[in-house]
Amino acid sequence: MDDQNLSTTRRRFLQTTGATGALAATATTVGLPLGDDTAQAQGAASGATKITKSICHQCPARCGIDVYTTNGRVHAIYGSPNHPIANGKLCPKGPLGIYVLYDPDRWKSPMKRTNPKKGRNEDPKFVPISWDEALQTVADRLNTLRDKGESHRFSLCFGRGWGASCAGLLGTFGDLYGSPNVPIGHSSMCSDGSILSKQCTDGNASYSAYDYRNCNYLLMFGASFLEAFRPYNNNMQVWGYIRGEKTPKTRVTAVDVHLNTTLAAADRGLLIKPGTDGALALAIAHVILTEGLWERSFVGDFKDGVNRFKAGQTVDPASFEEKWVKGLAEWWNIELKDRTPKWAEGITSIREHNILATAREFGSTRPAIALFERGAHAHSNGIMNGMAIHTLNALVGSLYAKGGLMYQMGPSYGAMPVDEKAYMDDYAQNGAWKKQPRIDLKGHVDGYLLAKNMLQEVGPNHLKGKPYKLDTVMFYLTNPIFTAPNGQQWEEALKDVFVIDTSPFPSETGHFADLILPDHTYLERLQDAPTYPFQGWPMAQLRVPAIKPLYDTKYFGDTLIEIGKRIKGKTGEYYKALGNTENVIRHLAKGFEKDPGDNGVNSFESWVEQGVWYKKPYLWQQIGGDFFEWDGKAYAKPMSADDVKAKLFKTPSGKFEIRSGYLEKNIDWVAEKTGRDKARLMFPVWEEPKHPGGGDLYLVSPKTAMHAEGRGANIPMAIAHQQPVVGGRKQVFVEINPVTAKARGISDGDVVKIKSAAGQIEVRCRLYEGTRPDTLVLPMEYGHWAGGRWSKNVFGGHCGHATVNQSDRVTGQCNYYTTKVTVERA
Amino acid sequence: MTKWGMVIDLEKCTGCQACTTACAMENNRLPGENWQDVLFYHEGTYPNVNLSWLPRPCMHCENPSCVAVCPTKATWKTEDGVVLVDWNKCIGCKYCMIACPYGVRFYMDEKATIEPDTRAAFPGDGTRSWNPPYRMPDAMEDPSKGIGIQPHGVVSKCTFCYHKISKAPKGVADLDEANPATREHTPACVRTCAPKARYFGDLDNPESRVSQLIADKGGVRLKEETGNKPQVYYLSGGGAPVVPGQRSNKKA
Repeated sequence: MDDQNLSTTRRRFLQTTGATGALAATATTVGLPLGDDTAQAQGAASGATKITKSICHQCPARCGIDVYTTNGRVHAIYGSPNHPIANGKLCPKGPLGIYVLYDPDRWKSPMKRTNPKKGRNEDPKFVPISWDEALQTVADRLNTLRDKGESHRFSLCFGRGWGASCAGLLGTFGDLYGSPNVPIGHSSMCSDGSILSKQCTDGNASYSAYDYRNCNYLLMFGASFLEAFRPYNNNMQVWGYIRGEKTPKTRVTAVDVHLNTTLAAADRGLLIKPGTDGALALAIAHVILTEGLWERSFVGDFKDGVNRFKAGQTVDPASFEEKWVKGLAEWWNIELKDRTPKWAEGITSIREHNILATAREFGSTRPAIALFERGAHAHSNGIMNGMAIHTLNALVGSLYAKGGLMYQMGPSYGAMPVDEKAYMDDYAQNGAWKKQPRIDLKGHVDGYLLAKNMLQEVGPNHLKGKPYKLDTVMFYLTNPIFTAPNGQQWEEALKDVFVIDTSPFPSETGHFADLILPDHTYLERLQDAPTYPFQGWPMAQLRVPAIKPLYDTKYFGDTLIEIGKRIKGKTGEYYKALGNTENVIRHLAKGFEKDPGDNGVNSFESWVEQGVWYKKPYLWQQIGGDFFEWDGKAYAKPMSADDVKAKLFKTPSGKFEIRSGYLEKNIDWVAEKTGRDKARLMFPVWEEPKHPGGGDLYLVSPKTAMHAEGRGANIPMAIAHQQPVVGGRKQVFVEINPVTAKARGISDGDVVKIKSAAGQIEVRCRLYEGTRPDTLVLPMEYGHWAGGRWSKNVFGGHCGHATVNQSDRVTGQCNYYTTKVTVERA
Repeated sequence: MTKWGMVIDLEKCTGCQACTTACAMENNRLPGENWQDVLFYHEGTYPNVNLSWLPRPCMHCENPSCVAVCPTKATWKTEDGVVLVDWNKCIGCKYCMIACPYGVRFYMDEKATIEPDTRAAFPGDGTRSWNPPYRMPDAMEDPSKGIGIQPHGVVSKCTFCYHKISKAPKGVADLDEANPATREHTPACVRTCAPKARYFGDLDNPESRVSQLIADKGGVRLKEETGNKPQVYYLSGGGAPVVPGQRSNKKA
């Protein structure tokens, strides 16, 4: 029996619906302007069209969507005109959300596995069960573990968390139940390299928010701005404005390893050797200093105003008076003085004149933003690359400036309905679990002391039994057998542990599940979601069900609460008091009563109606080297240095630290684990990346516009447009430079074998002059062997099977783009 | 008389394909059967490579060759300037597909681009050749204009979202998604386009945005040599100096 071909038990949802069913009816009903045909239309179809304000689920951006439902049928999704990210627009994934709802391969009820054997070729033999049986099964396991003092052997791993009513509940569950492994997030498999780079330099462990609309120069390192960078939809709105309407037109330089649409649309595209973005950033910084292009009002200056930064020559640090940066002259002496464009050409393969031109443009055009994501830092030297690039923002004074970058404020949520501290029993407070390390060794000296999460280590560590074996693992919106590097290890690891998957869809991880507790799809959910870093000012979206659940599924947040209610003792009492996620969301909305949004949202009901609460402006701005707070009318209230330290530069010095105090604090551990020089490791310095795998070509696996974090894998329409740049309209291709192909006897369209120490895959190739000769580019999307009917039918292996599991020791960032492979004709 | 037309600003287009997917969902198209598409090209040798793209809907020609060749008059031009197919008259001979210089017409019963065939996943019910659960409201369907789920054996094409634009308030110059009064009457591709690379309006109205953009930024039509006179214009920068022969904004 196929995983997905189970009988529908739609009736059962009637017993479990409650809250969301009632809510669906409160969504606004808007009669479409049907003109002359109104009467006829209503006569023929009887139903008015209802527009529900919800939010998209296909990437982290949280675009507001208007969901059109007529006669109980969802038939269209458009961007919400009243939503600040969407502004009535969508990316190519947005309209396809309807497929997600009506995917015929969805799980249709809770299920249990009846085949105890697990493996790729083992049919799980899932059979439908009731929610009560499913939830009680989980609770019984968890109660038994807790009774034995082994509650740490339960882990809950999540990927795309949304808000307080789902991922926000997890930490409390871990605290009350007693497991350091609840939750383990996926941020190390996302872009923690960026978060740590910012934490180390400006003290904010966060992605940045950006003011692109007022920016005049964009320098982008590997973020796929016009394919995948969040918020994609808004990025493109910005692009149309800054490139087609704004005066002056914003100039753009984009850096990547292959010619994608971002590089093609930019003024300058630089094709860089993988892992060397830091060297390019260092050379740009070198030019900014030697040519005197730095922003003196922010950075400071030589006391006598004479620029002494000359290539190869040290300066007296005492002669330079730093303003908002720390360690600039030291950095120059220890590193930057030798990082000339000529030197960088040797490292990056980018021609010296291109580096010089980029540096001069970036250094002389204000405001300017240097942004980067995984391409730049998913390497062993990622922290260095990230710090070097982010320091460019400091050199040109863009931090907290108009047209620069800042950090995201949180929404004015009300308090949770129940205070969990009153429900901490003795075990929760002092149980044996408190002494256990996390299974992923995050925060542990033997593992990744400074990382935020290490999801990619959970499978391998369980397999080794180090630090221990898990008993039960639950997954929420993550599919690590597929998404983790070298997922083959996870296939082994999940054989001897009780696996609970909560995805609405079949997947590789679900194929190894013992229990399936399917979530609603997003058009059926009531779910809060504060904004991802956007423009700084706070915003909280609400996913409002457009339609009653089609099947016997349950919102993950409620699944967790229902499990909690079945945990013995005070934990169970807490969850009984908490009630359900709608109660949580109603309490969150109470915060808006005291702090109404700009759109008038001041209650749960108005939040449901509008789908979003937001409040402009951002509260702080740096103007000409001075910081000001919004006083209600303007950025006019001067901020003291202490204010800046408390709110904006949360570093030991209260400045932007080129000499990182955070790294200095951990200097012994970093030096021991990385072999780095204690005199240099706290600065952004150049370090050759380590490329595992044993091959001669870099394997880079970017996301395409249709990737949707894998949630589009079973959408036929997305498959049809997967990789249009090289003609991938029903499959993915590995892009290979014609010179590289010819040397190996490979022709366009051949099936090729890609091999590394991790494994081997076969995929069809496309010869493409836009890809570096030393690099293979294979988008991370297909190669599914479990999942829906369309996803499994796409030809080609999965890049993860040839990707070695290596991480940046400092950031914990999974090094997705650094494995070296060989390629040959299959 | 209204003459609907479109302007696509290539300086703003990011090649994201949102126009394509929005069209496909609004009009219930099969995967890979792109009434609206974006075509990608690359040329040159590493590291000097050019990657470019062209968004391409139906051109809704002033002088459409598809209408001229149709033996049953199934393909017709509306009074407001839109080329449609009457599925009640179409015999599926595909002459129009051969005659069209832009390759924007589609025959229903071809082999599926994406397997398994979505038509098998959502089988039809008599007149409809397939029946996706998300299909447009019954009241919007109009086989005489090629709108909705088509029957077997017919040719289909972009309608400029005729079920939307034909209900627009009379006499408006622009169908602009930013205007609440015209949002629901704006073609799906235009409405969704994030960088706002698309504009839709009345080419016969000198006050319309499309008319102004065509003049100000030098609108170009594809394959002028065919004499088809498309009602879709492209902008690519708007500077006065151009390569001779690459620009025409003559109206019929």
